[in-house]
Amino acid sequence: MRLGIIGAGQSSCTLIAELVRGQFEGEILVFNGELNRPYQRPPLSKSWLKATADANTLSLLPEPIENHGSIQWVKEWVTSIHPDNGELRTEKASYQVDHIVLATGTRAKQLTIEGLPIEIEHVVRTLDDAERLKKHIDHAENVTIIGGSFLAFELAASLDHPDRSIRIVARGNRFLPQVSVKTADRLLGSTTASTQVDVQIDSYDAKSKSLTTNHGPVPADLVIIAAGAVPNTEIAMRCGLGTEDGIATDLFMQTPHPKVSAIGEVSLHHQPHLGRSERVESISEANDSATTCAKRLLGRPEPFGAIPWFWSDQGQLKLQIAGLCARSDDETCLISNDFDCVVIRHCGDRVTAVEAINGAREFMAARRLFENGAISLSALVEAGSVFDLLQSSRS
Amino acid sequence: MPQLNCIDPHEQVIKVKFDPGETILQATYRAGVVGILAECGGGCSCATCHVILDHTWDGTLVGPSTQEADMLSFAVDPTPHSRLACQVELSDKHDGLSLTVAKRQY
Ligand SMILES: Cc1cc2nc3c(=O)[nH]c(=O)nc-3n(C[C@H](O)[C@H](O)[C@H](O)COP(=O)(O)OP(=O)(O)OC[C@H]3O[C@@H](n4cnc5c(N)ncnc54)[C@H](O)[C@@H]3O)c2cc1C
Ligand code: FES
Repeated sequence: MRLGIIGAGQSSCTLIAELVRGQFEGEILVFNGELNRPYQRPPLSKSWLKATADANTLSLLPEPIENHGSIQWVKEWVTSIHPDNGELRTEKASYQVDHIVLATGTRAKQLTIEGLPIEIEHVVRTLDDAERLKKHIDHAENVTIIGGSFLAFELAASLDHPDRSIRIVARGNRFLPQVSVKTADRLLGSTTASTQVDVQIDSYDAKSKSLTTNHGPVPADLVIIAAGAVPNTEIAMRCGLGTEDGIATDLFMQTPHPKVSAIGEVSLHHQPHLGRSERVESISEANDSATTCAKRLLGRPEPFGAIPWFWSDQGQLKLQIAGLCARSDDETCLISNDFDCVVIRHCGDRVTAVEAINGAREFMAARRLFENGAISLSALVEAGSVFDLLQSSRS
Repeated sequence: MPQLNCIDPHEQVIKVKFDPGETILQATYRAGVVGILAECGGGCSCATCHVILDHTWDGTLVGPSTQEADMLSFAVDPTPHSRLACQVELSDKHDGLSLTVAKRQY
């Protein structure tokens, strides 16, 4: 079998590694639109942004796998796919394959701000983006980050410097809507950046070097747009697969076309833990969907059944989330003291996610409990901590 | 270049070169030492980079943080010399350090 994988990010590399380890019999063509060797994204907004370390420390594939004889790297963008006749096209050539895996991820959402000079506008999605930001940041005194997500807060923590003012502005009415109000408050309380919600940006005024907004001028000699991501579905959509929201697959990562699979954060599939379909942007989703796809391609299919998890470094605070919940799910604070904080998200008595700040034990205990089945809120509150509930379930 | 002696889950001994300042994970992962999964790529959030260090090197190492110790308590059969490979930074004085990759990561 000749496999064509489009993309060389987290999900693609996990798939490649699993196929090599599983002794996949066939050839693997990997199309990488970026010129860099496969690298990890999470450090780009965290430790790596502050450190002097080079790109080698971000390497995503072990050398023996990257250089494995079954893999051919094609450093080109795929411009179209024609699954009926197993064809993939780039600007330069056409390739014949038996099966296509779309692992195209997302790109940073762009905002059009009138008057904003391109030289001071940044996003952080790729290694090139992060390197460009590293180069310009030393000259910036007023950094404005547009967006209200984890990425915005991670960047603010990583770029914190006594000679620099950092502002985070968001259009929505609250920051970090992905997590509970309590967890968001703790993270907000730790940031040294100044923050403002409900911000409408009109334009950029080059003379005063500031953004003109409904809250008055916001000084900015460097602007980072962290306003979310858009799935790269165009090449799939042109052959009738997927929509702007993602590429739909079944629990084996198979799209409706028998010759096409989709993995990683571009894939839209049923999330058994959540009880409905959702596109999830996280390392756990990239790894688990890739592993599921690899098993199918190796002839040992097993449906996607992973419990999602997530982490984010916010300066000194480490947020870890086990499970996945709807934004509207209820919240109950289980533990809160000077150092750590654990908030339970739930629908009635059924726990959907556990948000832990500096609470690795609670996070891991929640992952183990979810793996064993449902968690009941009342049992959890009675036990006093997720760890204690796990211990009592074991004895 | 300084190096580590790694024993993988198949009991193969592999010599791994490292640059001072790297973590054990960065050096062993690049070299393709089998048995280290490192699902979170060094984020101290998965505990699938569990290694057991030779205790004679204890004096050269800074002990684990609370975060790392908590994560380690969920690794498979942790020992007093268990560490998360992503949390141990190497320096010149670790030339020759021996470690065993955990038999199972979960
Ligand atoms: C700065 C940053 C920090 C993050 N931090 C965390 C974190 O702390 N925790 C967490 O769980 N997740 C985090 N994430 C999210 C996580 O990195 C992603 O969910 C994960 O990388 C998704 O993997 P993927 O393979 O689906 O997509 P990607 O890793 O984005 O890979 C997709 C690849 O496909 C290529 N591509 C797209 N179209 C084409 C084409 N037509 N032809 C050829 N190549 C193409 C792209 O260039 C890209 O390299 C972070 C992301 C970013 C950007
Ligand atoms: S790589 Fe995940 S904890 Fe070390």
